[in-house]
Amino acid sequence: MSVRTIARKDLADASRSKALWAVTLIVLLSTAGITTLLAVTSDMAAGEVFTLSFQLAVTMLPIVALVLAKGALTAERESGSLRVLLSLPPSRRDVLVGKLLGRTALMLVATLISGFVTGLVVLTILDGTFGSLAAFIGFLGLMGVAFVAIGVGISAGSSSDSRATAVAVGAYMILVALWNLIQSAIQYGAVELGLMTEGSAPAWMKLVGLFPPNRAARAAYRNTVGGQLFGTDPFASVWLPVLVLLAWILVPVTIGYLRLREAQIG
Amino acid sequence: MTGPAIEIDGLSKRFGDVTAVDSVDLTVESGEIFGFLGPNGAGKSTTINLLLDFVRPTSGSASMLGLDVSKDRETLHSRIGVVPENYGLYDRLSGRRHVELAAKLKDADDDPDELLDRVGLSQEDANRAAGEYSTGMSQRLALAMALVGTPDLLILDEPTSGLDPNGARELRDIIRAENDRGVTVFFSSHILEQVEAVADRVGIMNEGELVAIDSIDRLRRQLDTGAQVTLDVDREPERNLGDIPNVRDIDVDDKTVRGTCVEPAAKLRFIDRVRELTTVTDVRIEESSLEDLFASYTGEDTTDSQTETVVPGGVA
Repeated sequence: MSVRTIARKDLADASRSKALWAVTLIVLLSTAGITTLLAVTSDMAAGEVFTLSFQLAVTMLPIVALVLAKGALTAERESGSLRVLLSLPPSRRDVLVGKLLGRTALMLVATLISGFVTGLVVLTILDGTFGSLAAFIGFLGLMGVAFVAIGVGISAGSSSDSRATAVAVGAYMILVALWNLIQSAIQYGAVELGLMTEGSAPAWMKLVGLFPPNRAARAAYRNTVGGQLFGTDPFASVWLPVLVLLAWILVPVTIGYLRLREAQIG
Repeated sequence: MTGPAIEIDGLSKRFGDVTAVDSVDLTVESGEIFGFLGPNGAGKSTTINLLLDFVRPTSGSASMLGLDVSKDRETLHSRIGVVPENYGLYDRLSGRRHVELAAKLKDADDDPDELLDRVGLSQEDANRAAGEYSTGMSQRLALAMALVGTPDLLILDEPTSGLDPNGARELRDIIRAENDRGVTVFFSSHILEQVEAVADRVGIMNEGELVAIDSIDRLRRQLDTGAQVTLDVDREPERNLGDIPNVRDIDVDDKTVRGTCVEPAAKLRFIDRVRELTTVTDVRIEESSLEDLFASYTGEDTTDSQTETVVPGGVA
């Protein structure tokens, strides 16, 4: 009851933020725009364009998700409206879950619009299947939710908005921008320490590659389109990356909640 | 409601090595208007934050309406109305939307427009986004949200800040009207006259401790700061006035004679004595102000040897 009311309030409030829509629009237009450009100018097949466009989206959409989510609680904490909410019956958990749902809904709307526009462009210009469009939108959506959850978790665990912003930027850098580098460093270190031989790919190393939500989403999409829905190799499967994505939805929010529960709302 | 509205038992809160609230005991009875006084940083806000479960106590406990402030907070918060300190509104949502939100969360069926009207916000104001509100209007809206669900207890943290004198008077009227309905009102202020005008009893906090709890009249009597009587005279009295019972600090110069009268009858004795010696042309009497009273509890000249050295808890 409380959760739904807060989620609806949050949706009404956040969706009136012009800055938020501006960021969303810029990201979506660039993704859809580049995809259109690819579809029109290159002679790639629909599947290839989808894959490239997915690659682009998993780099861009986390920005929208984090911008959308990182202020979910810190902004209310700084303005003092959190004090008003918590003076009313809802608990801190209600507020957190309500906020998560509100921002998730907003993110899904943004993802659906962008995924649909991008997908339709590909489908009309080139010859693609609706199946790959569904996978395209579905996994982008799931990844978007994961990054919203990361952002809301960061927001719940931070005492100020500037701190939440810094941590969110850090999360993006580590998970999206620098993960290739980090992965190489881990690989190099592991070989040096004799944990693995050069050129081999043990399961844990593959898991490192799958760790960030954007990587997991890409794997899930690729494996779905590749028709390996029920494969025996977990790294070629859909369920493992989906599990990773679900973990990204649950873990940061839980950590954020534990921190918020103990916080002084002064 | 027959039990106490607020019961605080040995409540303490330390932030690191700063003691913001130091073993406070306080009982506020149902149906009273209780003024919670103290300078900024005295621990008033921390005490209220503890009551609202915004902050957890280091030790001690507190209950309101017989419900534990932490364990039973959800039930409790549906029965109280709060205007927290440093509260914020949703700039992009209308005033009416705010009241509707409070009503939904409290599961109450109040008419938002009626409540907004009661705090002096017009229909037109109600339709505007709260971001466009003046401080006074925001304060009124916060009060309207607090009144949702006909609460049994109102907790108002510095409710008059940002209100003009007219708004402050209207607020007092609302407080009295709610109190007539049987609502207990607990409100904090560092402005004494706001409290003096409505409170049945007051508590004074200083440096984390509750240094006094009583009615304003009794506190004033207890302190015997007395009344300052100033007499204009046409010439200086020729002789010394001598000792007059219950009159202190007699001060004579060529135009005026001043004295502090500790009890009412002393004023007449003082005036009579001066008139025996000279001609009185005017009489001015100033009752000791609450400011004096307040200063005597919180000022540096209080000589309470038992007061521990406590760093003022500057925690908002």
